[in-house]
Amino acid sequence: MKGARGKLRLALRLLAREARAGELRVLVAALVIAVGAVTAVALLTDRVSRGVGQQSAELLGADLVVTAEAPHPAQWRAAARERGLAIGELVEFASVVVMGERLQLASVRAVDATYPLRGAVKTAPAPYAPDAITRGVPAPGSVWVDTRMLQELRAAIGDRVEIGNASFTIERVLTYEPGRGGNFFGAAPSVLMHAQDLAATGVLQPGSRATYAFAVAGGELAVAAFRAWVAPQAASSRRIMDTRSGNPSIARAIERVDRFIGLTSLLAVLLAGVAVAMGARRYSARHYDVSAMLRCLGATQRDILLLYGTQLLVIGVTASAVGCIVGWVGQEILQLLLRDLLPVRLPTPGMAPLALGFATGLLTLAGFALAPILRLRAVSPLRVLRRELTPLPASAWLVASAALGAMLLLMWRYTDSPRLILGVLGGALAAGIVLAGVGFGLLAAGRRLIARAGATWRFGLSNLWRRPRASLAQVLAFGFTFMAMALMVLVRGDLLASWQRQLPADAPNHFAFNILPADVARVEQFFADHRIEAQALYPMVRGRLTTINGTAVTQAVTKEEESNEALHRELNLTWAAQLPPDNRIVAGAWWDAAKAAGVSVEERLAKRLGIQAGDRLGFTIGGASISVPVASLRKVQWDSFHPNFYMIFTPGALDGMPATYLTSFHLTADQKPLLAQLVRAFPATSVLETDQVITQVRTILAHVTAAVEFVLLFVLAAGFAVLYAALVASLDERRQESALLRALGARRGQLIGAQLAEFVVLGLLAGVLAAAGAEIIAWALYSRVFDIEYAFKWRVWLAAPTISAALLAVAGHLGARRIAQQSPLGVLRDAQ
Amino acid sequence: MNENTDNIIISCRNLDKRVDTAEGPLDILSGVTLDIKAGESIAVVGVSGSGKSTLLGLLAGLDTPSAGEVRLAGETLTALDEDGRARLRARHVGFVFQSFQLLPGLTALENVMLPLELEGRAEAGVLARELLARVGLESRLGHYPRQLSGGEQQRVAIARAFATRPAVLFADEPTGNLDAATGARVIDLLFELNRERAATLVLVTHDEMLASRCARRVHLDAGRLVSRGA
Repeated sequence: MKGARGKLRLALRLLAREARAGELRVLVAALVIAVGAVTAVALLTDRVSRGVGQQSAELLGADLVVTAEAPHPAQWRAAARERGLAIGELVEFASVVVMGERLQLASVRAVDATYPLRGAVKTAPAPYAPDAITRGVPAPGSVWVDTRMLQELRAAIGDRVEIGNASFTIERVLTYEPGRGGNFFGAAPSVLMHAQDLAATGVLQPGSRATYAFAVAGGELAVAAFRAWVAPQAASSRRIMDTRSGNPSIARAIERVDRFIGLTSLLAVLLAGVAVAMGARRYSARHYDVSAMLRCLGATQRDILLLYGTQLLVIGVTASAVGCIVGWVGQEILQLLLRDLLPVRLPTPGMAPLALGFATGLLTLAGFALAPILRLRAVSPLRVLRRELTPLPASAWLVASAALGAMLLLMWRYTDSPRLILGVLGGALAAGIVLAGVGFGLLAAGRRLIARAGATWRFGLSNLWRRPRASLAQVLAFGFTFMAMALMVLVRGDLLASWQRQLPADAPNHFAFNILPADVARVEQFFADHRIEAQALYPMVRGRLTTINGTAVTQAVTKEEESNEALHRELNLTWAAQLPPDNRIVAGAWWDAAKAAGVSVEERLAKRLGIQAGDRLGFTIGGASISVPVASLRKVQWDSFHPNFYMIFTPGALDGMPATYLTSFHLTADQKPLLAQLVRAFPATSVLETDQVITQVRTILAHVTAAVEFVLLFVLAAGFAVLYAALVASLDERRQESALLRALGARRGQLIGAQLAEFVVLGLLAGVLAAAGAEIIAWALYSRVFDIEYAFKWRVWLAAPTISAALLAVAGHLGARRIAQQSPLGVLRDAQ
Repeated sequence: MNENTDNIIISCRNLDKRVDTAEGPLDILSGVTLDIKAGESIAVVGVSGSGKSTLLGLLAGLDTPSAGEVRLAGETLTALDEDGRARLRARHVGFVFQSFQLLPGLTALENVMLPLELEGRAEAGVLARELLARVGLESRLGHYPRQLSGGEQQRVAIARAFATRPAVLFADEPTGNLDAATGARVIDLLFELNRERAATLVLVTHDEMLASRCARRVHLDAGRLVSRGA
């Protein structure tokens, strides 16, 4: 061959000719499907997760909020404006609100006209009246206050109140404020006022405690850029809140959706790998003869390498580009079809997923096809005389490590969760190895079994044993595909169920606190009389954590934790004989019968403050100090809307301390008027309505659920496409043999029967692999990645083999029928 | 080619080919020594399994002997590596096979163009058309092998074999897959072209009739050359 350019031209010319002859169809189709699937999933998940992000931004009231104890430096505004972000500033402080003789400590927020940057405020014209979205903020000179405030002050709409030196008219009842998430009970009632009035109150003097919030909203990249710019200037990382750190319920749901989406992408990559591996296998096998002939005609090994390297690159680039388009169109169509089901309008997709999809095509092709195609240069020219001279297959280790390397690289790019990748790849690998062992065992056992089977079965099955490598490759291809699909169905079901459990229809949507000890029995009676579902009443004592093992807490903790709110405010302390139902002990032990005094600490707080079971904690409660050992650490479900506590003491440990009680309960819409009754009957009791927040959380969970279903649908579609590609490839491998059998006089029925038997067994084995893989991966991922309880999935062991055997049987049957209809000569000549 | 007709274009000395089988080593060829002159036509005959195709593979440099030496067009094949032999094949050798060995993804024309394109010849299309016309397939240029009859496929293969004007043409049972009448026509064509182009023809066959058309015949029996022929 002359000159590199001449060789390149020849490579392209040969490629064009083969493409025209339909030789590349399977490989290109596999690649297009693979790239299409991963691109679509990447695009979709990108849009869905950004859509969900928008939702939770509405809950936070902004895309990013940075808080500080002093006004923000002026350059923050400039920096945010430079990046094209909308800016909102808010000051939150505690102040006494006065109405005549009555005083009430309130949490006041002074907001500018931009509030809220995301989402909307809801207000009502009167307490417990239906509320509605309210645009704008209180006009200067007026305030919006929550029901509790009205209740505490015995005030009504239109009354005048004083805050500091200024006086305000109560204009509306505040029912929902974006950004007022977090810790509800124990917090003072809310007041919302205009920032312009702040100076007039004279409340904020140098040194006053106040929280200055600097909120921004805008494009994702701009927000990220601002975040990166501002992070080093923020007092601590927890002073920066974004859509993920706002509300714990939402944060956890979003985190899990993120991981689900990560899993989806990984499975899409796995499916892509299967498709490309099947296509590449066929491609390289069909090019043995071509390579031998080229060698015979004088092509050197380098020529062959250059030829196929070029071809592979061109195929990869072209098919990946087409795949990107297919993926784009696919997700657009699906999105349009499901528009009514998706409660949220998805943002337009970004370009990054397309680039990722494209790279996936090239990388999977390189990983799965390069090694087999490199073998083509080793084809002996003697093969033209002796057809059986197939080159030694590429070293299994080489192929496996190239493929594994490509997979790892891609998976790393799709999700940077090593646990997820380890779970999926490790699980698939373990299942594959187990199955290879079990499969050969089954084959051996089956061989003895089928000796007694009918001739048709015997013939069909002996096909499988005869080519153990090819059979194994097919079992793996079908098995991994079914595994990916089964896993998606499993995780989806368990995720949705866990969300259902997290927020059942009767989840508590109100908190009652400051219940006097003397009222406890009567409050319980009130709930019983009105058939209100309520949690147990917990005693609550306010106290401060002061020492850890005798050292003052501010010195005992790391610098980063010095500003931890738990150290600077009073904590809600309680005691209990029984572990609350949704808490779980992770270290130490719960007390059986109260022996010595002790305390059980919430796990995350303990970790941050470096507290371990057995440490001694000192508390100041009122004027008194106590010191108790840490009996246990607890995992708490903060998103359950049940009363939860950082510190639970042994009964008796807090005896003599001033306690009030609190509980949470569920009110249906028509029970809502009972709230006024409750408040009248127990004037000391405060009620906090969380139904707005719960509705918001529920909406987001509904969106997230729809998103998960949506993504699932797409992966299933991709799975079927890959199955189809794998089927075409494996039917193709059987065509010539079937034609030969026909030529030898096999009847139509025998032929179809034999192929049916072969595919049923193939399907059963693939199904067992799928079940084993799904089980192993679920086991590896559930508790570690998804925070879901793992339970043995016996159903998948029934369903996967049944479905896969049935599907493959149908496909095998159709394929065999098609061949049976053609003339054997035609098929044989085609195969020549 | 510089060699005149008296020159030896192919020679082999004490050629052995041994393969290892489950039942121990098997001698396929032993001690074969043979000289072939440029322009000569020679038939290698013998029953199935006598080692004919193995000998052809060794002479054409498709395979390497266990012992002995092969020279082709003045170069010692056994001293070259596989890529060296490939280059030598590209320059001097053409092949016709029993199973045609056309590439299924290429049309008749493209199959004939292939060796010319491998050489980087710009006029590959023109030359290939001429050759296909010469073998009577001018109306079949765009057909794929599966759309051609066996005889037509073999004619395409012959056109391809002569495309690069090789000094030596190796033919391995060229009529083995064809009926008698078609086979006879294909052979006529092969000999005609061979004459026209003054190539050396090495023909492997078990068909005595076919062999008799060659100027010289050698007989292989169980891997040994039993007659050198006339």
